[in-house]
Amino acid sequence: MTQFDPIDMAVLSSRVTAIVRSMANTLIRTGRSVILNTGRDFSCCVITGRDELLCVADSLPTHVLSGPDIMAASMRELHPDLRPGDAFLHNSPYHGNSHPADVSMLIPVFDDDGRHRFTVLSKAHLADIGNAEPTPYSASAQDVYEEGALIFPCVKVQEDYRDLEDIIRMCQVRIRVPDKWWGDYLALLGSARVGERQVKALAAEVGWDHLDEFVGAWLDYSEGRMADVIGELPEGELEVKTQHDGFRHMTDDIPINVKLRIADGEVDVDLTDNLDCLPCGLNLTEATATSAAMLGIFNATSGYAPPNAGSFRRIKVHLRENCIVGIPRHPASCSVSTCNFVDRVGNAVQRGIAELADGFGMAECGFSTPVSVGVLSGKDPRHDDTPYIDQLVLGWTGGPACALADGWLTMGGIGDAGVLQRDSVEVDELRFPLRIDSQRILPDSEGAGWRRGAPGAAVEITPTDTEILFMYLSDGTVNPPLGARGGGAGGTARQTLRKLDGETEELGVWGRVTVDAGETIRSHCNGGGGYGDPQSREPERVLKDVREGLVTRERAAEVYRVAIDERLELDEEATVALRAGRTGEGGAL
Amino acid sequence: MRLAVDMGGTFTDVVLERGDRRVSLYKAPTTPSNPADGILAGIGLAAADVGLTTAELLNRTKVLIHGTTRATNAILTGTQAKTAFLTTEGHPDILVFRMGGRENPFDHSREYPDPYVPRSLTFEIAERLDYRGRVVRPLERSSVEAAIARMAEAEVEAAGVCLLWSIANGAHELAVGEMLEAELPQVAVTLSHQLNPIVREYHRASAACIDASLKPLMTEYLAGLEQRLVDEGFGGRLMVASVSGGLLASSWLAQAPIQAINSGPALAPIAGRHYASRESSAETAVVIDTGGTSLDVSVVRRGDIPRTRDTWLGGRFVSHLTGFPSIDVRTTGSGGGSIATVDAGGLLGVGPESAGAEPGPACYGRGGEWATVTDACMVLGYLDPERLGRLNVAVDRLAAERVIEEQIGAPLGLDREAAAAAVVRVATEQMVHAIEEVTTEQGVDPRSAVLVSGGGAAGFNVVAMAKRLGCNTLVIPRTSSALSATGGLLSPVFSEHALALHATSDRFPVEEVNASLDRLAAECWAGLSGAELQPSGTRVDFIAEARYPGQVWELELPLKVSKFSSEVDIVAMVEDFHRVHEEVFAVRDANSPIEIIGLRARILVPAPGDARTETVEGFDVGGESERDAYFDGLGWTRVQVVGSGQVSLVEGPAILELPGTSVVLDPGAVATRGLGGSLLVSPRPDSNLRFGKAESDDSIRSH
Repeated sequence: MTQFDPIDMAVLSSRVTAIVRSMANTLIRTGRSVILNTGRDFSCCVITGRDELLCVADSLPTHVLSGPDIMAASMRELHPDLRPGDAFLHNSPYHGNSHPADVSMLIPVFDDDGRHRFTVLSKAHLADIGNAEPTPYSASAQDVYEEGALIFPCVKVQEDYRDLEDIIRMCQVRIRVPDKWWGDYLALLGSARVGERQVKALAAEVGWDHLDEFVGAWLDYSEGRMADVIGELPEGELEVKTQHDGFRHMTDDIPINVKLRIADGEVDVDLTDNLDCLPCGLNLTEATATSAAMLGIFNATSGYAPPNAGSFRRIKVHLRENCIVGIPRHPASCSVSTCNFVDRVGNAVQRGIAELADGFGMAECGFSTPVSVGVLSGKDPRHDDTPYIDQLVLGWTGGPACALADGWLTMGGIGDAGVLQRDSVEVDELRFPLRIDSQRILPDSEGAGWRRGAPGAAVEITPTDTEILFMYLSDGTVNPPLGARGGGAGGTARQTLRKLDGETEELGVWGRVTVDAGETIRSHCNGGGGYGDPQSREPERVLKDVREGLVTRERAAEVYRVAIDERLELDEEATVALRAGRTGEGGAL
Repeated sequence: MRLAVDMGGTFTDVVLERGDRRVSLYKAPTTPSNPADGILAGIGLAAADVGLTTAELLNRTKVLIHGTTRATNAILTGTQAKTAFLTTEGHPDILVFRMGGRENPFDHSREYPDPYVPRSLTFEIAERLDYRGRVVRPLERSSVEAAIARMAEAEVEAAGVCLLWSIANGAHELAVGEMLEAELPQVAVTLSHQLNPIVREYHRASAACIDASLKPLMTEYLAGLEQRLVDEGFGGRLMVASVSGGLLASSWLAQAPIQAINSGPALAPIAGRHYASRESSAETAVVIDTGGTSLDVSVVRRGDIPRTRDTWLGGRFVSHLTGFPSIDVRTTGSGGGSIATVDAGGLLGVGPESAGAEPGPACYGRGGEWATVTDACMVLGYLDPERLGRLNVAVDRLAAERVIEEQIGAPLGLDREAAAAAVVRVATEQMVHAIEEVTTEQGVDPRSAVLVSGGGAAGFNVVAMAKRLGCNTLVIPRTSSALSATGGLLSPVFSEHALALHATSDRFPVEEVNASLDRLAAECWAGLSGAELQPSGTRVDFIAEARYPGQVWELELPLKVSKFSSEVDIVAMVEDFHRVHEEVFAVRDANSPIEIIGLRARILVPAPGDARTETVEGFDVGGESERDAYFDGLGWTRVQVVGSGQVSLVEGPAILELPGTSVVLDPGAVATRGLGGSLLVSPRPDSNLRFGKAESDDSIRSH
């Protein structure tokens, strides 16, 4: 272990965390997009001058595990003449970013001698980035040209702390609802500047060199934590196969293979044995492919080690160029690179670790993204046909079970980790010309298990005044989230449209659906996968789920083999008989 | 005479104010099974001290102000009433989904929280309104009847009713309320649009259900306490602290007991504001109140105490939102009872686990086995065993030394004192972190603020905190060990009402707004009736909840007019908003209209004699005059122990004794006596003392 004073380390790690939290606060309080200020779809971090991730806090995992480090490196490479007062706009999937709608602001932090010491980064998902289609997730785009996003490969937007207004004017003519974009841009800039100011203040107090020593010690400590927890896992290898639902012109399932190896105190994830980039927006970026694998590992070890460049030393992720889960080759589109394939890779990793190591790993989490978290756009006749585009966050559950707890109900996708907040029905109805008829848990949709997944949820939405365009890509409609170590799969996703004539139409995995006033679009999200044998679940837990209406009595008997009578009391004798029957002693159901 | 009683988890603080503005402090152990016993024991101490019987003292007491954790504790211990939730059909899971959100994304060890009301006691009512209050689906009485039948069967004791858009049209909720009243008269009911008329169904539903669940208990508690006090000779008015930072007649609070949650901590910033303005000219004060298990932080800016809409019963995102605005007091789990540990990687951490009041720190000799911050302070010689003994704490110094050595010193390879000092340093850092989170969010620079310290457990590191925060002036009132109870004496009586109203400044519905303001004013005046005040000269303050279109976080915008009579009034309001927004968030969107989503009216009747200079009594401050204490860099040092009454100018290292607590004055720090009687500490030798007030000001100033 390092010689750095452990007390000092505790103090300084807390100080750096506080800096990142200040950056996050600034973003929330001043942002204008709903997905930013309510959904909290943003991230902030501090990166060392050697492009190592030092600290993230309150951030979305897919944004920041890998990516900020690559972006910081690209900033230094593309701008060798960095100066104090510079700020860079970066959303290029080919230079370390996630999808282009995640817009990053990078600011290099200098000491008084003009040495670049740290980089601070704030990143937020913006409601629009100028795509051809009115959605920041262009799943169907053949390439980046059809996608149409404005791409900024680390472009300087401030010099000497002043805006370079050409860039801003460009954005204002190419991005929908430009006022909102401008508000969000200001929020990003403010957040990163707050970070810069506070890093400098910290250095003024403790000294730049001391801060460097802290960085070394903190990363070593984090690596040690990761080594410890990996040391608890048995060594082994596993190939995990999964498939994303086919959609639109790609009607077949899209297979994804993950080779997992735990050995020598490291976890090794090989993603090279996968398809070449596809003509769609789902291709991952280098950052999101790496993050996806890391996500699975951090989830599987329940966050035992702090996520930073130190703990990352114990993780090896193998990627190849021109691969759907690798390094994209321009002009492949990465418009949806934070969600769908990330889900598949991350879930395969955490499920694989569960299969290798009892007590670790997780089942699979619900997939991205149901209609109730779709992008809607249109004009609001209640307000002089003002155009709007935004993303809903309703009825998205899907938390996977692990050895420690049942699935977290409001988890959302694996990359969101439950950090997203959900909309108020009333606020949505105020904001958009629609009515949310219902939003409720779907009984019996949980992945059963010793620990169960979260049940799915159903949402019904009816435009009230005029048509609304919904765009979505709902993976998990065909291939549900799987359980681990004998746990069951979560319920599948489903989307339907009830027409004015009363007919119900089944909608596909992908949709660009115009819903007329009075029609109702209905969305089911996935339940999360279960962990361990459902027949070993404590009867008291099953009883509580039945009383709370999450699981029916029938399912309790069939799947959990727990007998609950009509008065919703546990029948212990019958339960013993049911469970004994399973072990081959001849007991009948 | 006035009495203030703050009932905490461990001690009940009693503060007596006599007509000559002498204030005296007393502490009695809290008696959870029958709180009135502890309260009367404390009042008994006060009576004996001034040479009266309890009956005589109570008889002469005009007002008794009560802050209580009763409601909070009922929730913590799950002893609130069995409560049902009635909601619009299609939306039974409002309390289950809550508002989403989660901290620590990779930590999956926590179970999802149970809803405040279980799904099995949630009933869907067939009805629907739209955002303008128009009926989309009429109320079907049969669905209410079905719910009533099942509630009766389940022997429900309380019910929260929250229907979508009841804030735009309360008719359906009122009809449901009438049916409940007729069929289940014994069930306590809260209607969401009456309790908390704000947009956002989760906030409203949660408020209604929490409120209803507390009604049976709080009604009984307050009525019982009042009766007991009357039986003992009390003939004055019982006023109860509310989470909004003012006092309510106990009969009003019983109608909305959710207002009693966290009402104790809400009193500290009121006291802090008072002392900050007495002792300093700084615009901003940061007020901290440290107890055995928690640290409460609040900010006072130019005399205003900010409020928040998000008040959680427990941890953020893992508990339930009260949905109620409250004085913005942030509570974090850092206190004297916080447990220090060294993890497998050799990292020292303090908290969030706490040894609580039971078993408490190891040195309290009540079976505590973990090294706490208090134990570290005991090792360092910061605590006086004799004084603790007078509060019926049997001190076991050896136990403190043992746990610090074994649990901290050994794994870190440090000797006992160095280990204890490290614990204090990390605890200080975490408390500073908690304070900075609040100041950052409020946009306050602590370096330009005064720090006001309260609470029995603050003294060991408050000087270090001030230094670390960069505050030049630390104010330690002599009442600091009972800051909340003192805040009760300083609190205004208030009446507040709100309504939801959606308007934009470019299409401002003048008539609707004016009618709403009139209605709010009438409700506010009615709300004072139970307080039997003659509030001559008081006025109604109106506030708009306003934001830029597209934002979701509102700002409270004080309105300068009680009636909009011309375009000029509207323009002035918009300009005021731009100014407030720029102050808080550093930017203005000058060309944007503003959006209003609610109106609020408030009447405050100030406490009498708000500008008092009190003489503080209640604890004998005698004892030793020197003690050995350990300081980083100095080692063991013989330091002087100075009673706060004797302070004129003291240089650290020293220990200052105040009524009910003591303060560690670190090396280099300087303490003087302020004009208002508080201790003023400058934490570093190089900073200029900024004791702003130029002259004594003992006369009562107009408020």
